[in-house]
Amino acid sequence: MDEKLTQRSVWEKIAAKLSKRSLWMLHYCTGCGAIELPPTMTARFDMERFGINPMVTPRQADILLITGYLSVKTLKRVVLTYEQMQAPKYVVGFGSCTINGGMYWNSYATMKSLDRYIPVETYIAGCMPRPEAIIHSFNELIAKIDRGEANSWKDYYKNYDFYRKNQEHTFEGPIETYNDIKADAALFRI
Amino acid sequence: MSIVLNLLSIALAGVVLNVLFSKSKIVQKYVSLLIFAGLTYFSFVMYSQVGEHFDFPFQIAGQSIGFTITWLNYYFGIMITGITLLTVIFSLKYMEGKDGSTHYYTVLSLKTFGMLGVIFSSDLITFFVFWEIMSWSTFGLMSTGGKDAPKSAFKYFVFAITASMILMAGVVLSYSLFGSFDFAVIHDKIGSLSLPMTGFLLSIFIVSFSVESAVFPVHSWLPDGYSNTFTTFTAYLSGISTRIGIYGIILFLFGIFGIQTVDKLSIIGKINFRYVFGVFAALTMVVPTFTALYQHDAKKLIAWHSVGQGGYMLIGLASGSALGIAGGMFHVLNHMAYVVLIVFAIAAVEHRTGTTNLNKLGGLIKKMPVSYLALLFGIIGLAGLPPMNGFVSKWFIYRALILGGYPFLAIAAVIGTLGTILSVYKLIHNMFLGQLPERYNNVKEVGFSMQLPMWILMIVVLGLGIFPGAAMGLIAKIQVALGLTAVPYSLHGIQTASGQLNMLVVSAVFIGGIFVTWIIYLLGSRRKHVSQYNNYAAGNFLDKKVAYNFNYEFYAAMEHVIDPYRKKIIQRTEQGIAGLTDAVSEYIRRIYTGMINTYGIYVITAFIVTIIILKELI
Amino acid sequence: MNVVLWIIFLPIILFVIGTFMLGYSRKFIARIERRYGPPIQQVFYDIFKLMNKKTNISHGWMHDIAILMLLGGTLLTMYFVPVPGFHFFAQYGDMLVIMYILLIPALGMALGVGETANPNGSIGISRALMMLAGYDIPFVLTFIGFAMINHTTSMYDLMLAQQAGGIAGWGLISQPLLGIAALIALQGMLGEKPFEVMVAPHEIATGPMTEMGGKYLGIMMIQHAIGIVVELTIYINLFLGGAVNWFEYIVKLFVLFTMLLSVNAVFGRFRTDDAVRFMWKIPLPLAIIGILFIIF
Ligand code: SF4
Repeated sequence: MDEKLTQRSVWEKIAAKLSKRSLWMLHYCTGCGAIELPPTMTARFDMERFGINPMVTPRQADILLITGYLSVKTLKRVVLTYEQMQAPKYVVGFGSCTINGGMYWNSYATMKSLDRYIPVETYIAGCMPRPEAIIHSFNELIAKIDRGEANSWKDYYKNYDFYRKNQEHTFEGPIETYNDIKADAALFRI
Repeated sequence: MSIVLNLLSIALAGVVLNVLFSKSKIVQKYVSLLIFAGLTYFSFVMYSQVGEHFDFPFQIAGQSIGFTITWLNYYFGIMITGITLLTVIFSLKYMEGKDGSTHYYTVLSLKTFGMLGVIFSSDLITFFVFWEIMSWSTFGLMSTGGKDAPKSAFKYFVFAITASMILMAGVVLSYSLFGSFDFAVIHDKIGSLSLPMTGFLLSIFIVSFSVESAVFPVHSWLPDGYSNTFTTFTAYLSGISTRIGIYGIILFLFGIFGIQTVDKLSIIGKINFRYVFGVFAALTMVVPTFTALYQHDAKKLIAWHSVGQGGYMLIGLASGSALGIAGGMFHVLNHMAYVVLIVFAIAAVEHRTGTTNLNKLGGLIKKMPVSYLALLFGIIGLAGLPPMNGFVSKWFIYRALILGGYPFLAIAAVIGTLGTILSVYKLIHNMFLGQLPERYNNVKEVGFSMQLPMWILMIVVLGLGIFPGAAMGLIAKIQVALGLTAVPYSLHGIQTASGQLNMLVVSAVFIGGIFVTWIIYLLGSRRKHVSQYNNYAAGNFLDKKVAYNFNYEFYAAMEHVIDPYRKKIIQRTEQGIAGLTDAVSEYIRRIYTGMINTYGIYVITAFIVTIIILKELI
Repeated sequence: MNVVLWIIFLPIILFVIGTFMLGYSRKFIARIERRYGPPIQQVFYDIFKLMNKKTNISHGWMHDIAILMLLGGTLLTMYFVPVPGFHFFAQYGDMLVIMYILLIPALGMALGVGETANPNGSIGISRALMMLAGYDIPFVLTFIGFAMINHTTSMYDLMLAQQAGGIAGWGLISQPLLGIAALIALQGMLGEKPFEVMVAPHEIATGPMTEMGGKYLGIMMIQHAIGIVVELTIYINLFLGGAVNWFEYIVKLFVLFTMLLSVNAVFGRFRTDDAVRFMWKIPLPLAIIGILFIIF
């Protein structure tokens, strides 16, 4: 990890301690794994204990949860949604499909590795992962935020050219999201 | 020479010059500007001459007729001239390149001439003559501006003629009763009249003024008539022209008949003349306001509100207390300021985009911020929220109604206000907020000559909201002059034994709250403005080809709820009126038998009856 | 001096109470759903996180000003509503002023949301305004009834008049019809279920909040926390005899809030037109009958 990224002031440490207790999640549920989310939210596992709440629009969310396989068409939407989210933002790849294509490895229509298109904070392995695994990974994410290591969102600004190239390659052309990533990078001094 | 004659001759000069120089557009514009500037100046300096009286050198039926200056007509005088001046300034650019601009300035001068004559007259004859001039020029105003204009103007014409006939009957009847046309003389003699006769006479006058001030159910000419003409005329008409009817009502109710006489006209218990009047006023507030929800045209929407707001003034007057009457009179001024402001903003948008259709506009805040601000100030005033002026007068009215013991009239006022909030938000949202359609990308803000009247009115709307005392002084003087109790006003509100309103404190706390919020706002990191296409659409890509906007059928659910009531109330009332008219006409038709003998009998009977009635009355 | 201290600390106190009440509501509902629920200070964390966001997008200057109008208007209302020990501003504006300054935040938000150019937001606002027409009519009518009995429109005087009569003098006891009508209207005013049409996360993506994120949403949450206390206080002052000390005040706040929450927890959502119709069919006639009792 880059030195500059892990250096933090006292204020940032306190802020991380408080912010990690409130994570709002936007679940992008086109894959089959979404079925494991209701038990995670309701009485049995209750993720609201950790301050994790489902939210509706990208503007309000901190976590983008990608449950499972993404076709080229839905990946476009994921990129758009990701760019509309407000930093700091964390992507959680859910299920083996997001890691390496999973059982759709041979499919012509789905993409294989999510982190070639947007930076991913944590992955949850499994096909499909149990609620325990989801809760575990959220706790991992919380710990990571606390340690100040959950900085993947800065990666998007730093290595935008890389992500952009992969996106354009898959989409066979640029997509217009009306987000000026380069200008934002200057705003964040990244 | 009296200053009133000065005023009237200047206005008349405006008519003549406009007719003479009908070819030269430049002369018309600047001559009109000069004339109305002069009128405004003279009407303001009239302050020192209140109480003066002027008689014409000739007499009618042995009666001297003329003008007088009182605080009441001073108040209306400055409103008329001031708003006309602003309208003319606004029109300089607005009317450029439009057909009928000669007609425009001529009729505007004539209308002002008529209105000034009406309000300064001191007797029924002058009043009636100028009233007719005014009505005819209103017809002239309405009949220009669009292809539907003549038709809707004709609708007004029918109503106005009927009202004039009734007014004429009132004039004749009062002459036969009192032997004089003079307001002061009638006022002195009114006490000696029998109660039923007083009620009858008062009803005649009130009914005829109700047509001009568009009281439910005789309001139906107004929305079409006002919205089909030039938009600046819409402003002028709904701002001041309709309110001359209110002037007539104030004059007759309090100036000529007097509140003591009116209060004697009791039907049963609390139900007296004022109460019945109040019920009509309440209907005027509620029904047109909710009709406005259904409108898809900005001008029409405001025209309906103009009807509805008239109800507030009338209900204030009907409440009969010092506070309520002050509220009613103050609301005339407030309504004039904000409604003209709103219509100017609409006219500005129309000037740039060529439409007032609420389903076609949108997102113009990015292109026309000043017009947006003007509309915003206007709608906050219209909806009656602090700190704008509409709130103060409405506060007077609510309080007068609640403490006067009229809970159902008060709730009608509240319902009206809520309906207003609903439809004004639709107005500002559909015009200025939401997505900016691609075709309006090159729209620019209007020029200085159109912005100036808007800025002035914005200052008035906000200024009267924070310092209502600026106008309340004059209103208190009017109340004293009319023999009523004056409201205990202060510069920034009102101070009674049972509580006070201090708009300065309200506004100061509001500004303080905004300041605190601003500090909290600055604590967060810098905001960044984004394009309207960078927007949540559940992952959909937006661009200029995608219409991503909600403005059609804005209150569909509300319409579902009120449709049944609306059908019941409005359609049945309308059917009732239509049926009644039918029946009456049918009956009248039977009179014309076509035989000469019957007509002869009619004439003789009428003659005898008239003689008997006159003998009874005098 | 005392007044200055109150002016400085009142917003902070009410903000703390409001956030705890919101946290409590989340815990309460979680327990009804047999969940453990978030910690009671959760709303603080949420607000902090939102204020600490790195990007804050805005759609234009009205969007920025709207946020100021939103919280500014709520603070304005807060100062004019008497709380135990502080009624300095009550003399400058009565209940009628409060009724209308309560609408300023709503209008501010409506304008800001309009500028975000998101139809979900516009639909939310249109629903919020329709609900306003639904609940405000019965609510104002109940207030008019009280003002008529006591011949005053000042909220502080109404409160004193009730306290003079002991518990029997409370509005809810002496005028039960008005009290119940206002209670139902209050449910709508707070936007609790079944009158939650304006937010409706699954239909219109949280309506007005759709495009709000970061500090904008943070300020909206601060406003919500203070606003909820202010609205409950209005009801307490009008119908539950106000409060003489802070202990009584907080107990009344929590009892009232729990009552509304229990309804909230077990209901679904009405459709907008049904919600408005409900408001005009149940609380409004109740209020009218109550007023008829007062007149005759
Ligand atoms: S990982 Fe398994 S469960 Fe998840 S989307 Fe892929 S195939 Fe479905």
